[in-house]
Amino acid sequence: MSKSLFGKFLFVLMLAFVLLIAACNSDEGGEDSSDNDGDDTEQNESDDDDSDSDSDSDQELYSIDDFESYTGEGDAIDGGSLTFGLVSQSPFEGTLNWQFYSGNPDSQVLSWFDESLLQYDENYNVTNEGAASYEVNEEDSSITFTIEDDVKWHDGEEVTAEDWAYSYEVIMHPDYDGVRGSSAGFAYLEGAQEYKAGEADSISGIEIEGEKTITFNYTELTPSLLTGGVWGYPMAKHVFEDIPVEDMASSPEVREEPIGFGPYKVENVVPGESVTYSKFEDYWRGEPNLDEVTLKVVSPSNVANALETGDVDLVDSFPADQVVDNIDMPNVQWLGMTDLAYTYIGFKLGDWNADEGEVNYKGDEMKMGDKKLRKAMWYAVDNETVGERFYNGLRWNGTTLIPPSHPAWHDDSIETPTYDEDKANELLDDAGYKDTNDDGYRETPDGEELVINFASMDSSDLSEPLANYYIQAWDKVGLNVQKLDGRLHEFNSFYDKVGQTGEDDPNVDVFMGAWSVGYDVDPSGLYGRDALFNFTRWANEENDELLAEGLSEEAFDTEYRQDVYSQWQELMVEEVPVFPTLYRAMMVPANERVVNYDISVGSGVYLYELGVTQEEPVVE
Amino acid sequence: MSENHSHKDIEQQVSEQQKEQEVQKSPSGLRIFWREILKDKLALISLIFFVLVSMIVFGISLILDLDEVVKIDPFAIHQPPSDEFLLGTDKGGRDVFGQLIIGTRNSLAIGFLVTLISGAFGIIFGVVSGYFGGHIDNFLMRIVDFFMVLPFIMIIIVFVTIVPRYSVWTFSLIMSAFIWMGIARLIRSKALQERELDYAQASRTLGSSHTSIIFKQVLPNITSLVVVTMTLNLAANIGIESGLSFLGFGLPEDTPSLGTLMSYATNPTTLEERWWIWAPAAALILVLMLAVRNVGEALKRAADARQRRA
Repeated sequence: MSKSLFGKFLFVLMLAFVLLIAACNSDEGGEDSSDNDGDDTEQNESDDDDSDSDSDSDQELYSIDDFESYTGEGDAIDGGSLTFGLVSQSPFEGTLNWQFYSGNPDSQVLSWFDESLLQYDENYNVTNEGAASYEVNEEDSSITFTIEDDVKWHDGEEVTAEDWAYSYEVIMHPDYDGVRGSSAGFAYLEGAQEYKAGEADSISGIEIEGEKTITFNYTELTPSLLTGGVWGYPMAKHVFEDIPVEDMASSPEVREEPIGFGPYKVENVVPGESVTYSKFEDYWRGEPNLDEVTLKVVSPSNVANALETGDVDLVDSFPADQVVDNIDMPNVQWLGMTDLAYTYIGFKLGDWNADEGEVNYKGDEMKMGDKKLRKAMWYAVDNETVGERFYNGLRWNGTTLIPPSHPAWHDDSIETPTYDEDKANELLDDAGYKDTNDDGYRETPDGEELVINFASMDSSDLSEPLANYYIQAWDKVGLNVQKLDGRLHEFNSFYDKVGQTGEDDPNVDVFMGAWSVGYDVDPSGLYGRDALFNFTRWANEENDELLAEGLSEEAFDTEYRQDVYSQWQELMVEEVPVFPTLYRAMMVPANERVVNYDISVGSGVYLYELGVTQEEPVVE
Repeated sequence: MSENHSHKDIEQQVSEQQKEQEVQKSPSGLRIFWREILKDKLALISLIFFVLVSMIVFGISLILDLDEVVKIDPFAIHQPPSDEFLLGTDKGGRDVFGQLIIGTRNSLAIGFLVTLISGAFGIIFGVVSGYFGGHIDNFLMRIVDFFMVLPFIMIIIVFVTIVPRYSVWTFSLIMSAFIWMGIARLIRSKALQERELDYAQASRTLGSSHTSIIFKQVLPNITSLVVVTMTLNLAANIGIESGLSFLGFGLPEDTPSLGTLMSYATNPTTLEERWWIWAPAAALILVLMLAVRNVGEALKRAADARQRRA
């Protein structure tokens, strides 16, 4: 008997539980309904549910234009302290040196206490605002940098040209085991390869002229040098001199008591968990505002809670799929900027030739070889709706392959396909893709059945509905698109299949991926003939020429370079080896008390100005 | 009591039972089970409830258009329950009610299939092993031991990631391949006892073949054990399927199952504010498992004369 009693008890408990949840929810629904006023996009699809306003907050529409990247000036108090949340699933590695770090978490830790001598403007060009100013000498292809006089390491020593040269010597050292050393600043530097091979004792291209002046001689000047190519981080020679290069990454000078010349100095490192900084009074721009900064790791699932309770004031990034749900958090202000990234859909047009180290474009042999077919697939998808509905406007229709995060290079005058089903059908009919056997799907011009395999990543909550949405959209214009293996793929296996190792899975026809782009606009690392990451394996001569022109000496002239990249963007719209689907907003929350903080590059707001308006975080 | 049946009766029953096993939610062929269930009101209600839910779910899913249910509608994302969407919609604008129906059907179907496949295999394996004993038993049981030490959830997960396309059928086969050992061991120990009994010995002396003794005499005598174990296994298997789907290693996300609906609740906002997506599925899993268990417990009592209430 006792058993059946227990069963009944469980049943009642469960019922009570369900009812409780329902009750809780209706309360929340009531609160939500207050902030839907003026939301006109909602009306067209909720005509018949008159009193249901619970869900409307989900459907609210935002735009990146509504958000500033700057917190505003405000009345900062003298001193004060701030907690910075490093949003990461795992502990940070703790390789706290620009020459040796490898992951983004470490770079977040680093940027509080050490910085580049070079400062960039909003177009990611080097300016003279930083701790070093530059001068280009075109006749002998060199660039001369002069470091400001009062730039000092945290231990009081001057930052010298010697230190800067030393960081090159370490990175190019034969024993160096880090990942730096492939950017234009190293690749074009005279004598760097000889030094790396151990044939020379020093790098012949580096000339130290006095304590604060240094000249780098390049084999060729390329605009990439001044858009992130030149390595701008000096390395404190007086600290590291006696440590063998191969032991540096594990030395206490890198892991426990790192040194820099940034606005805050490291007080204490709890490996993987947190770092305490105090202000560096002799910082070269001036005395920092805050007395103390604490950085700690916060997991993505806790970050919203930590912000709400004032546990952290500021974070480095915020999980994109939680932004909309937390956008009404009362004690934070949301900063936003256009992310240096885009999502795209690519078409497999060849494979990788590992022997030659270049793509093997096979154009017409491939299933997706027809330009019109690819374009029709672009016309068939409604990215505007996807952005508005799935991301509430925080992602929006992509047009060209240079995202608007690079305003000087992004050409918004280019006409790109936008959702137009008729146009898609027309293009397909034109190209000879017709349904000849009445199965509801189009066949190839040769009358063969056309089944397109679509590979997509399982990266967020929305991956699966999105992939299905695109498949559905293509279905509507009569294309039979199937998920590769009938499911989504995990991050690494996805990139293995599309070809990050050079062994492309021949079953992939179409894939959806995302790129984040660097400061330098040059796209040859993603779309060049010899780029492994050119996953579509598409190449043509015009593309080769344009990419080369974009890096030529003439391209030092911004207008010329802009013209080159406009042509390139147009070429890519014309050829459609890939098409961008969504541009993204990067959203970062900051506690109401945080002032003088800017998440964008080149804003002229620097970290030492960061302040708080009250001692304790705002909590509501 | 069943042992007292005349030989003819038993044979009749066997054929009935074998049919019944395929749908073991209704073991009514065995009067004793039936009486015990009638006596236990909770088990009776549970049984009626379970049969009803199964009929509704399989019935409605015949009319429901799967393509329509899993169709993404960007204009109806996260709608709360309304006249149009009885249980609201999920993150892809899909009708949760439709997914719940098809999901329950899939979960139940997998539960049944896995129980049947693993049950059938396990019973044959166990009865052969127990009946012959000796070296054969020794050998077969080592195979069972080998399968027992495998971490079966892990292995199922690996299999599911390797097999390119899988459906309800393949998934059931993969699951069955790793959970037949429990029942095999149970049946084997029972068969070990049975073969020592006089009727088995006598049959052998009279020249019956092993096959006929195993399937016509030993097996019918352990039917009660089979029915009870399989019923209880059914609940467990529905649970395992839901758990795997919850973790993302069950059916693919666009093939609804109770577990995939539950897994939507891993998103904190969905858990807190969009109860209509996961709560019905959670409640259904709980109630279904309780129902099957209640029936199973009643059957278990019926199978053991000392615990019987009827």
